[in-house]
Amino acid sequence: MIPRTILTQAILQVTLITSFLSPSFATPPASKPPEGLRENTPQCFSLRGVKIFINPTRILENASIVVRDGVIESVGQDITIPADAQNLQLAGKTVYAGFIDAFSEVTLDQTTLDTSAAHWNNEITPQLSVTHDIPSDTDKNAQLRQQGITLQLVAPAAGIIKGRSALFFTGNEPHSSRVLKDEVAQHMRLTISRSHNRTAYPNSPMGAVALARQTMLDADWYRRAWAAAKADRSLPRPERNDALNALKNLSTSGQTVITDASNELFFLRADRFAREFSLNLIVRGSGKEYQRLEEIRTTRRPIIVPVDFPKPPNVATPEAATQVTLEALMHWDIAPENPRRLDEAGVRIAFTSYGLQNVNLFLKSIRKAVNRGLKPEAALRALTTTPAALFGVADKIGTVEADKIANFVVTDGNIFDPSTNIVETWVGGQRFELKKSSVVDFSGHWTVHFENRTIDLSVTTETATMSGEFTLPNSDPENPTQIQLNRLHARDTRLSAVFDASLFEHSGFAQLTAVATTNNDGDNELTGYLVWPDGQRTSLSAVRREAPTTVTSAADQVPQKETVPTKGQTSASFDVNYPLGAFGVLETERTPQTILFQNATLWTCGKKEILKDASLLISAGRIMRIGHHLKAPGDALIIDCTGKHITPGLIDCHSHMATDGGINESAQAITAEVRIGDFIDCDDIAIYRQLAGGVTTANVLHGSANPIGGQNQVIKLRWGMLDEDLKFSRAPAGIKFALGENVKQSNWGDEYTTRYPQTRMGVEQIIRDEFHAAENYKQRWKTWQRIAKGIPPRRDLELEAITEILAGERWIHCHSYRQDEILALLRTLDDFNVTIGTFQHILEGYKVAEAMARHGAMGSAFSDWWAYKFEVFDAIPYAGALMHKAGIVVSFNSDDRELARHLNQEAAKATKYGGVPPQAALKFVTLNPAKQLRIDSYVGSLEPGKDADIAIWSGPPMSNFSRCEQTWIEGRKFFDMEGDLKHRKLAAEMRAKLIQKIWASGEVMLTPSELSANQEDLWPREDTFCSHGSDHTHHRP
Amino acid sequence: MQQSNRTLLGMLTWLTLWFSHTTSAAPEIPGESLHGPLAFVGATVHPISGPTVENATVVISRKGRIQAVGREIVIPPQAKQLNLVGKHVYPGLLDAHSNIGLVEINRVRASVDSAETGNINPNTKSWVAVNPDSEMIPVTRSNGVLLALSAPSGGLISGKSAVMQLDGWTFEDMTLRSSIGMHVQWPNMLPVINWTTEETASEQIEERDEQLEILRQTFERARAYQQARTADRANSVFDIRWEAMIPVLEQKIPLIVSANDVQQIQSAVGFSTKQNVRLIIYGGYDALQCAELLKKHDIPVIIAGIYRLPRRRHDNYDAPFALPAKLQSAGISFCISSAGRFGASNLRNLPYHAATASAFGLPKEAALKAITLSPAEILGVADRVGSIEKGKDATLIITDGDILETPTHVEAAFIQGREVELNDRHKRLWRKYQEKYRRLGIGN
Repeated sequence: MIPRTILTQAILQVTLITSFLSPSFATPPASKPPEGLRENTPQCFSLRGVKIFINPTRILENASIVVRDGVIESVGQDITIPADAQNLQLAGKTVYAGFIDAFSEVTLDQTTLDTSAAHWNNEITPQLSVTHDIPSDTDKNAQLRQQGITLQLVAPAAGIIKGRSALFFTGNEPHSSRVLKDEVAQHMRLTISRSHNRTAYPNSPMGAVALARQTMLDADWYRRAWAAAKADRSLPRPERNDALNALKNLSTSGQTVITDASNELFFLRADRFAREFSLNLIVRGSGKEYQRLEEIRTTRRPIIVPVDFPKPPNVATPEAATQVTLEALMHWDIAPENPRRLDEAGVRIAFTSYGLQNVNLFLKSIRKAVNRGLKPEAALRALTTTPAALFGVADKIGTVEADKIANFVVTDGNIFDPSTNIVETWVGGQRFELKKSSVVDFSGHWTVHFENRTIDLSVTTETATMSGEFTLPNSDPENPTQIQLNRLHARDTRLSAVFDASLFEHSGFAQLTAVATTNNDGDNELTGYLVWPDGQRTSLSAVRREAPTTVTSAADQVPQKETVPTKGQTSASFDVNYPLGAFGVLETERTPQTILFQNATLWTCGKKEILKDASLLISAGRIMRIGHHLKAPGDALIIDCTGKHITPGLIDCHSHMATDGGINESAQAITAEVRIGDFIDCDDIAIYRQLAGGVTTANVLHGSANPIGGQNQVIKLRWGMLDEDLKFSRAPAGIKFALGENVKQSNWGDEYTTRYPQTRMGVEQIIRDEFHAAENYKQRWKTWQRIAKGIPPRRDLELEAITEILAGERWIHCHSYRQDEILALLRTLDDFNVTIGTFQHILEGYKVAEAMARHGAMGSAFSDWWAYKFEVFDAIPYAGALMHKAGIVVSFNSDDRELARHLNQEAAKATKYGGVPPQAALKFVTLNPAKQLRIDSYVGSLEPGKDADIAIWSGPPMSNFSRCEQTWIEGRKFFDMEGDLKHRKLAAEMRAKLIQKIWASGEVMLTPSELSANQEDLWPREDTFCSHGSDHTHHRP
Repeated sequence: MQQSNRTLLGMLTWLTLWFSHTTSAAPEIPGESLHGPLAFVGATVHPISGPTVENATVVISRKGRIQAVGREIVIPPQAKQLNLVGKHVYPGLLDAHSNIGLVEINRVRASVDSAETGNINPNTKSWVAVNPDSEMIPVTRSNGVLLALSAPSGGLISGKSAVMQLDGWTFEDMTLRSSIGMHVQWPNMLPVINWTTEETASEQIEERDEQLEILRQTFERARAYQQARTADRANSVFDIRWEAMIPVLEQKIPLIVSANDVQQIQSAVGFSTKQNVRLIIYGGYDALQCAELLKKHDIPVIIAGIYRLPRRRHDNYDAPFALPAKLQSAGISFCISSAGRFGASNLRNLPYHAATASAFGLPKEAALKAITLSPAEILGVADRVGSIEKGKDATLIITDGDILETPTHVEAAFIQGREVELNDRHKRLWRKYQEKYRRLGIGN
C-alpha cells in the first residue's frame, strides 16, 4: 500500500529550488481541523510525447504517462488521456524511474533508549529505528533530487549493531511523512572507529567482532530463556533487554542485515560472520571489491556500491610521486570499473551516494562508471530495480508502470550522456522542476533599442551564472566592438546588469534593468531603462531574435577543466594483482609436484644435523627424502644448489604482523573472547618482507595489554593468497596471557590507574579468579546437559576459551619478564593442572630455569633486547643459552616487523652469548618454535613427511654476510631474489605509465592536505605497550 | 678467553667485581694508563686506512698513541709484548649517532635526559649529562664499540653533541671531542596519516610551515646577535641561545639534521646553503634521490641504521640494507650508525648493521670503514681515531675473528692505550646464574 500521507499531505509547499508553486492536492483526510480555506486543486497530470524507460531494458518512444493523486494511472503509446489531466509541456523529454540511493547514514538520538532495558554496551543498539529515533530533519533532499534520487535508505550511523534503517522519499515534507518502508534492515559495522573512546570496550576491531558474536549468541539465549520462563511460571524471569529482544529472531526471520565493509577483506569477514549466524546479508561495500572479485562473487551477497572514485594521487612533483604507492595509482585507475566488473561477474549491485564528498557528484560518478564499461541497463538496474527488490519495495517503486508510485526522473536526453540535464524529479507524485533558475530564460540573442540606437545583446546562461555582452552595429564583423555586461542577474522576470558606458559617450558605469513580458507570438519582449553615470534615465526595449541557447552550447565555449573521456577509449591499464600494488602476485606460478634440490648444505634441524653436498626431494608439498645421491624421479624438477645452504623455513614465535584489527583489545583486563584470526590481513607487505628473510610461519599474537588477552593465530606466509588461506589450520588453538608492567598499566599514562590489577599481586589473583569462574561455568553446562531443566545457561565465549585451556585444548603464550611473576604463574597453572604453551619474552627465565624445566615450560625470547623499560633491566643475551642448557626448549622471536627480517642473525646470538653450537642455535628459529607452537610434526625441520617449507641461503645461514635467496612453503616458491627483481621492474614501469595517465586525464589531483588514512593503516601492528621500538613517540593505548 | 672477565693484562681480578652488581653505578673500573710501551705481535691488523696486514705488529706508546704499525717493525726493548697470533686487531668502532649516557631506561622518566623542553635549544650540550656509570657503556664496549656520538634530540634545534670514549671516571675523561655538531630535527615535509598520527593532514602542513618559519627566524636572530656582538661586544647583552649559534654561523661546527624523506633532505640542503652553514644529514633514507645535491655541496650522510623498515609500502624489501652500497656507488660520503632504535641499549650491534650492508652489496672493507674511519672523518675526529695509523690514539679492539660476524668475541679493548674492562652487567648476571645451576647440578 502506498502511504497516503506522502501523496497528499503537505504538497502545498513551494519547492525550494523552483520559484513555481506545486500543483496543490486536495486536502487530505486528517484528524487536525483545516486552518482557513480548504484546498481542492485537481491532481491529475499528463506527460505526452516522452520517451519512457519503463524499466532498464524496456523503452517506449513517443509515449505518455498519466499521474493521478501521486500514482501512475497509465503508461503507454496509445493510452487515453483523461479529460481532466493537465498537460505538462515535456514533449521530447525522457522519463526514467526515480533513482534510489541505497545507503546513507544519520546519527540517531540515543537518549530515547530505555536505559533500564538497554544492552550493557552502548555499541549494541539494534532496537533503534531510524523512523522513530531520527533526531531532526537533516534535509539534503533538494540536492538528492537534483541527482534524480527519489528514494533513499537511511541507516543509523553509530555502533556495532546499530539499529534499523528506513526508506525515505526525498520530498520536502517532514521526515515522518516521507517514509516508504520502515525497518528495512538491521545494520552492523564489524569494527570500530579509531577515534572511539579508548577506555571503553571494545577499543579494537577485534573486540568489536567479539562483542557482535557474543551478542548474537546472547540474543539466541534470550529467546530460549524467555521461552523456558514462559513455559514454566515457577522459573525466575530472565532480564528484560530491548537490544537482545530486537535481535532474537534475526537469524530465523530472514530479516535483511546490512553490514559496512570498508575494504574487500572486511567484505569477506562480513560474509563469514553472516554465515556463522545464518544472516541474510547485504554488504555496503567500499569500491574496492574488484581487488578480490572472484571470492566476492562466490559469496553471492548483493552489494551496495559507493561511487566515490578516488581523485588521482598527488604526483605533481617527482618527490610527491615517490610517496604514492603503486596500489593508490592502480586504485585510481581501476576503481571506476568496479561497478562494471561486479556486474559482469553477476553480482547484484545497488548504488549509493555514500562516501561522496558532495552528493552532486553522484550522477557524474555513475556516468564515469558507464563510460568505463558498465552497461547502461546495468547502471539503471543498480539505480532502480535492484535496490527496490533488495529492500522489498519492488511492487511500489523502481519502474515506470501503472499503479506504481509516481517516482520518476525527466531528462532532456540520455541520462548517462554528460550533457544531459535532469529537468524534473517526481517524488511520490510531487513534481520538482530543476532546470529553471528564473521563470524566464533570458539566454539567446536580443535586439535592443534605446536612444535611436539598435544594438545586439547576447546572454548565455550556465547552471548558476549568466554572462552577456552588447555588440555594436556597423563594426567590422571580423572584429566586432563588444561591451561586457557585469553583474548580469535574473530575478523572477527581471534582468539587470552594469556596463562600462564610455562607448556611449558617458564616462562611468551605466545600469540596465528590464522586465520580460510575453507578446502574442509567445516570444519574450524586454521593457526597461538605462541609468547613465550622471543619473539620467533612458527607456529601453528589446525583442528576442534567437531562441535560448542551451547550456551545452555555452559549455562548449568555455573549456572544461576536466575532459570527459570518450566511451570505450579508456580502461584500466593493468590487471589486478594480489594484493594490489607493488610485489603483488599476478597468478599462481605452476610448480611441478616433485622437485629435487641438489648439492646443497642441508641444515636439517633434525637428527641428521648438517648434511653437506646433499639433496632434498619434495613432492606434493611434503619433504620426501633427504640425503646423499638421491635420484630424481622422472617428472621431477631439478634445482642445483651448489654452494647454497638450505634450512627449514624460519618460524617466528611472536609476531604482530598481518593483522588489521588492532593487536590489543585493551579496554578490559580479560578479553579471552577476542580473536586475532578475525583480522588476518593477507595484504600486509610485512609478509613479503619477512618471506625475503626466510620466514614461513608466524605466531600472530594478541598484545600485552591485559593479563588474559585474545586468541592467537598461527599463519603461513602465503603471500598473495587470502586471509583464510594463510591460517595454519593444523596448529592447535592458543591464547595470549601477559604479566608485569604492561598489564598493570605502569606505562599507560596518569589517567590509567584504577583498572584491576595495578600490581603483580593482582595479576596473579585475577588469573586464578578467572580459572575458578571457568570451572564453575563448565560445571553449569554439565548440569544443564544432564537434566536440561530451568533457564538454559548462556554461552560465554570468554569463559569458553578458558575452559579450553583447562581441558588442555588451548595453549597459553604468556608475555613475561620478572622471575617472580614467572614463578607465580607456574604455581597457578600447577594448581589447575595446566601446562603452559610458552613463556614469551621470558627475560628473567634464566633466573628460574629449573622451575620452568620442571613444569615443562618452554621459552620464546628476544635474543638481546633489554633496558627499554624497568622490568627488562635484568634481561641478558645469555638468557637463551642458560635456559637451553637447563633443558628448556628455547626460541628467539621478533615481536617486530623489522627484526623478523633477519631471524637467522638472531639465532647466531645464541652462539655468541653462551656458546650454543650453531646447529642447535639455528633450531632457536626453526624446530624449537615449532615445538612451542605444537606444530613440530608438520614443520621446523627438514625431515621426510614434514611440510616442504624451506629457505635457501647464499651461504651459511647464520652468517651476517648470507642472504636468503628463496623461500618455499609446502612446495611452492613464495619468494626468490630473481622474482623480486622482476617485481621491481614491473612496478617501476607501471608507476611510470600510471603517472603519465594521470597527467593525461586532466583530473584534479589530491592535495597533500586531503590525505586521509587507509583503513588498514589505522590500527597498530605492534604491541604499543612494549615500547621497545620507539624512543621518542608516546603511543596511545 | 672470551668468557673471562679478566682484563688481558691481568690488572684486576674478577672477584672484586662480583659483589657490586646491584649498585646503581656500573662497577667496572676505568682503565689505567700504560706504564710503558706496548706491542701487539702476530695479529691480523685491519688499519682501515690501508690494506689488512697479516702477522703484523702494532706498537703503542706509553702515552697511548700508535707509534708504529706494520710488518717490519722494530719493537722498543722496554715494550711489553702480547702475542696475538690468530687474533684480529681493529680500530675501536664508532657509532656516529646515539644517546648513550643520556638515557638509561626509556620508560623511566627520571632516567631520561636526552630531550630538553622547547623548540630551540642550540645551547644544550649533550656531554655534560652523560652518565659515566650508565650500564649501557660497558655492555656497548664489550662488543667493540668504543666510541659513540652522544647527541641530544627533541624540539627543532636540539643542541650540541660530543664524541665520547666509552670508558672514564667522568664525562670529561670520556669526552674525546665536544661540540661536534648542532642537531636539528627537520620537520616532516609531507603529512603522514596512520595509527601513530593524531593530527589531520592540514594540521600537519600548518605545523610544518610554522616550524620552518621558526628555523628561519632562529638563524636570522642569531645572525643579528652575531653582528651586534662583533660590532660592540662590551655593550651587547649576552644571549645564551644565540651565543651557541655563532660557531654554526662561523662554519666551525656543522648542522646535523635528522632527515630521511627526499623532501626533508632537499629542504635541509637548500636551507644550509642559503644560511651558508655546514651540513651533515642524519637518517638519509632517500639520500640516493638527492645524490647530485649532496655531492655538489659535499654533504655527508650518517645512515640511521641498516636494520630498519622500508619507509614506503612499495619500496624494495632490501632498500635499507642496500642503501650503503648505493651511496658508495653514487660517490656520496656516508657512514653507518646503529641509530638508537633501541636507545643506546643495542649500540653493540653496530658491526652487524655494517655486515648486513655488506651482504647487500657494500664491499666488506667499505663496511668496516663505515663504522670506523668514515664516521671519524664525518664527525671531525679522524685526527684521533677511526684507523690504526701512526700518531692516532691507541683506541683498538682485539677479536678472535671477523668483527662483522656475530659469534666473534671481543677479547680486549684499549682506549688511548688504557685497557678497558670488558665485564658488564650482562656478564655479571650470566655468571651469577651459571653458579646457581652449577649448585643445582643442572646443565650449563
